[in-house]
Amino acid sequence: METVLSITNLTKRFNRLTAVDKLNLEVKAGQVFGLLGPNGSGKTTTLGMLMSVINPTAGSYSWFGEVPSHHIRKKIGAVLEHPIFYPYLSGQKNLELNAMIKQCPPDNIANVLDLVELTDRRDDKYKTYSLGMKQRLAIASALLNNPTVLILDEPTNGLDPMGIAEIRELTKKIAAIGKTIILASHLLDEVQKVCTHFAILRKGNLIHCGPVEQVNAGSETIEVRADNGGLSELLLKFGGTSAVARDNGFYNVTLKESFHGKDLNRFLFENGVVADHLVTKRKSLEKMFLEILSETN
Amino acid sequence: MLHLLKIDLKKLTSYRTFWIVCGLYFLTLGFGAASGMEFLKWLVSTFESFGQELNIARIPLYHFPDVWMNLIWFSGLLKIVLAIMVVISITNEYTYRTLRQNVIDGLSRSEFLTSKILTNILLSLMSVAMIFVIGLVTGLIYSPYVTIDRITTDLEFFPAYFLEIFFFLSYALMLGILIQRSGLTIILLLLSQMIESIITANIDDYVPWLIPFFPMKSVWNLITFPLPRYAFQEIQDYVAIGSILIVIGWTFLFNYFSFLKLKHSDI
Repeated sequence: METVLSITNLTKRFNRLTAVDKLNLEVKAGQVFGLLGPNGSGKTTTLGMLMSVINPTAGSYSWFGEVPSHHIRKKIGAVLEHPIFYPYLSGQKNLELNAMIKQCPPDNIANVLDLVELTDRRDDKYKTYSLGMKQRLAIASALLNNPTVLILDEPTNGLDPMGIAEIRELTKKIAAIGKTIILASHLLDEVQKVCTHFAILRKGNLIHCGPVEQVNAGSETIEVRADNGGLSELLLKFGGTSAVARDNGFYNVTLKESFHGKDLNRFLFENGVVADHLVTKRKSLEKMFLEILSETN
Repeated sequence: MLHLLKIDLKKLTSYRTFWIVCGLYFLTLGFGAASGMEFLKWLVSTFESFGQELNIARIPLYHFPDVWMNLIWFSGLLKIVLAIMVVISITNEYTYRTLRQNVIDGLSRSEFLTSKILTNILLSLMSVAMIFVIGLVTGLIYSPYVTIDRITTDLEFFPAYFLEIFFFLSYALMLGILIQRSGLTIILLLLSQMIESIITANIDDYVPWLIPFFPMKSVWNLITFPLPRYAFQEIQDYVAIGSILIVIGWTFLFNYFSFLKLKHSDI
């Protein structure tokens, strides 16, 4: 797979504070790459350096294997931190201005406004927009030039649940058309739902990097409930059980490696118990994130 | 180049403050320049009430070629209004953080600066054109003799006027980029002349040769106060090469400092 972004030993120091410390990272074409980390872990500083608004103290990076320049930035759509537009210009005019800066034809403006559902409000001044509309306009602006890479920094920050869902759907829609997306967030649930790969930053250091699927690897946990008095004994009898815990009326069965949910289901059925609830629980990214953070402390 | 100018104009032409400030500037410039005759009439009536007589014909404010230098000197006083507009335009980019977004969207930092400088050049050229037209019209109305010779005399003050305006707008742009906050920048802009005067007054006895090199002083020397000539005094009725070079030097430095600051700071 083609390498879209390659970062080598990227470092940024603000006086005594090291915001990003010798970061090495690679993003390949087609990935939806989640950049995770607590607040102040250096996510935005990293993205700022990648977009040339922050000068790195040391290290380098390349986009599409080329030395970064403002021409390359035109191929990248980026929203850092929060949406930035001229408040006295309408949404339409802001996008016209951005089209001029990106040197792309303005024909695409109507399309992207449609995509983010802002067509009705396009002639209203930007300062009259709600936060969700501002975020959506920022995404529209990032998509204006039909970029191959999209950088989103906390795109759901400050949005209500409906807004969050809208942005998430939008991100998935964009990922589905094959764009590479770099998504910085501290909302782990969000990253788990949309990303294919993720990296964790803490105090400017990279402490984990890998595919999201990996989170689900390892032993499975099955949540079971059935109207049967002897369920707990039966679960313990199952050869694949390594532990059983009772939680809120459900039994959480941790399976040994190479055993799966269907094996437990078959075992129960053969023993005359029909479960009315049986779910293979995915290990949450949140759990893993906290594990990794505590390991490195 | 034109592309960059268009970008900056796109930002400004939908900005109401820009139209108000520029409208006020060009209106004041136009009416101010055209109402010198009214001032003379007021002067005459004041003299009369003291029992003195003043002959307007002896003060040929609007006669070719005097009209050029007179108008240009007085118009130069208004450049502060245009400079404040430039300060608002650049500090807005910092307060809205749109400079950052412009760079993210693919404008290089030097392209951004160039777009601002091009607007400064355009505003300076518009001032020149405005004063040229007013000078031509009033000159044609009030001059007793109109000859091509008289009209074309002293036109060298126009390039000097352009330089004066562009110099000052470059200074305002630099202050805006260095300070980034509009209020503070405007205060410093207004105080610049006074601060420089205080410094020059204090070093006058030690290094008098240095004083013509001070920025504000160099602009005063570019186009000198024309009215003493009507009181039979000698004035510098030409543009001195030395002053031109000093003003060009400062203009270049101001824009270069803007460039350095933009290039090396995190935005």
